[in-house]
Amino acid sequence: MPEHTTPPEPAEPSASSGPPYDCPYCDRAFHRESYLALHRGQTHPDDLTDAERQAFETARDEEEEALRLFRLQALAALVFIYFGFLLVYAFSL
Amino acid sequence: MRCPQRRAVGAGLVAASLALALTGRATAHGGSLSADDSRALAVPLWLFLSTGGGVVGVSFLLTSFVTDRELLRAVRERRRDVVLPSGVRRWLAICARAIGLLGLAAVLVVGVVGPAAPLSNLAVLVVWVGWWAGFTMTTYLVGNAWPAFNPWRVALPLRERLPAPDWRLPERVGSWPAVAGLLAFIWLEVVSPLAGDPRLLAGVVGAYSALAVAGGFAFGEEWFERVDPISRVFASFGAVAPVYRDAGGSLGLRVPGTGLESPDLVRDASDVAFVVALLWVTTYDGLVATPPWRGFATAIVGAGVPAAVLYPVALLAGFGVFLAIYRVAVSRGRRDAESYRDPLELANRFAPSLLAIAAGYHVAHYLGYFIELSPALLGALSAPLAPPAPVAVVLPPWFSVVSLGFVLLGHLGAIWVAHAVAYDLFPSRMQAVRSQYALTAAMVFYTMTSLWIVSRPYAAPPFV
Repeated sequence: MPEHTTPPEPAEPSASSGPPYDCPYCDRAFHRESYLALHRGQTHPDDLTDAERQAFETARDEEEEALRLFRLQALAALVFIYFGFLLVYAFSL
Repeated sequence: MRCPQRRAVGAGLVAASLALALTGRATAHGGSLSADDSRALAVPLWLFLSTGGGVVGVSFLLTSFVTDRELLRAVRERRRDVVLPSGVRRWLAICARAIGLLGLAAVLVVGVVGPAAPLSNLAVLVVWVGWWAGFTMTTYLVGNAWPAFNPWRVALPLRERLPAPDWRLPERVGSWPAVAGLLAFIWLEVVSPLAGDPRLLAGVVGAYSALAVAGGFAFGEEWFERVDPISRVFASFGAVAPVYRDAGGSLGLRVPGTGLESPDLVRDASDVAFVVALLWVTTYDGLVATPPWRGFATAIVGAGVPAAVLYPVALLAGFGVFLAIYRVAVSRGRRDAESYRDPLELANRFAPSLLAIAAGYHVAHYLGYFIELSPALLGALSAPLAPPAPVAVVLPPWFSVVSLGFVLLGHLGAIWVAHAVAYDLFPSRMQAVRSQYALTAAMVFYTMTSLWIVSRPYAAPPFV
């Protein structure tokens, strides 16, 4: 899972090693470095340093990967619910 | 950019058809919104309820396939200006105010001197059929026109001409007076024959009018924003509607429901409580008219608890349970999303999604009632003091499916709104998804509760 893979370069060298990760541009804090990277890319796109931009792109790729896995799980759940109901209805009517 | 959009549209279509297939199946057997339908369900109750819950769960899963931030933003920001010439607007405002005042006067006069039979009395028909069923439906289907119609707002121009006290409510009072007022209204509606006794109705409307005009005179606009529960109900429902009024007063069109994504609709804990109260009162109204409630109330009153205590205590206890479930769901969602945001802020942002559910319940409860009794209303309007014998429209049996379709539509809207708000709040889309698990569970609970009530036969509330 993405939370264990550290971004290649720590975007903000002064950031502490554990949560919370504070945004240098506003007063928000995040539980994971990847959330902070995504937040910076979405909310402060014009202020990013090269390293931060790099971190944003990495975090976005990881997020996309996690979403792809989630979509598969959701699809499986949908199939399960659909056929589950189909069977239950077939037997109870 | 095209691909995610097409995927989203596809997901939406699948959602709609699957949901329709599932509910159509269940409600064809289970719906019993029409009053005399007391036949047993053709499917077991547990299956009927879990189908309803399943549909909400499925719509959550399908909505979660919409992962394109741009698409969500585009839907929210799709707005159009409605330009009305200022002359037309002024004229419409005068007409609306005249209709409001005339309607109030008619209720007060005909309620006292008109026929005593409720279905022949204009006051009962105007208040319950025309206003509480019909007008309320326009507030979420079209837009909130209540500030224009509200007859009690005559207090505001009076305030400018006469020496009025400039009273202010303390900040910490918030919208709690409106919450208390809404609960009190429903309590009164349930325990008194307000829908069947025109004299009593006229008395209550008269007393409320005196209070509202005095309150508006003393507190000004603040009264209608924070105390008057009626204005608050319509303002809340109006947030669902496609027609809206922006801060500058000009009219606009938006995608229905997207007004609920606005961050300043619900401002504090009392506003959250008001939204939950609105959801709860519809449930309570149905709950006290079920046979299990009759059994429960008979047992409790038999054990020595006065019925006058039972009803308000049950009203408050149920409200507390609904509010607690919502709060727990939000704080659980916050933990699942690993967010440092203030739990109160999250509660404020997600609460408006419940308004879509409340609007769906309102249509389901009142659309059939409105259609059935609108000929009686028209008859009474044509001859207020000597109306023709009331005629009722008989609705076809499939109508209950339509009603439950609206319950479902409300839930789909709520899931969509909560999804869009979560995307707005959290930087990671996986956080947004995780934040919705607990909230979806709460919505499943609300759905199953109301489907259970809807599937019970009608039993008049005992001891009232």
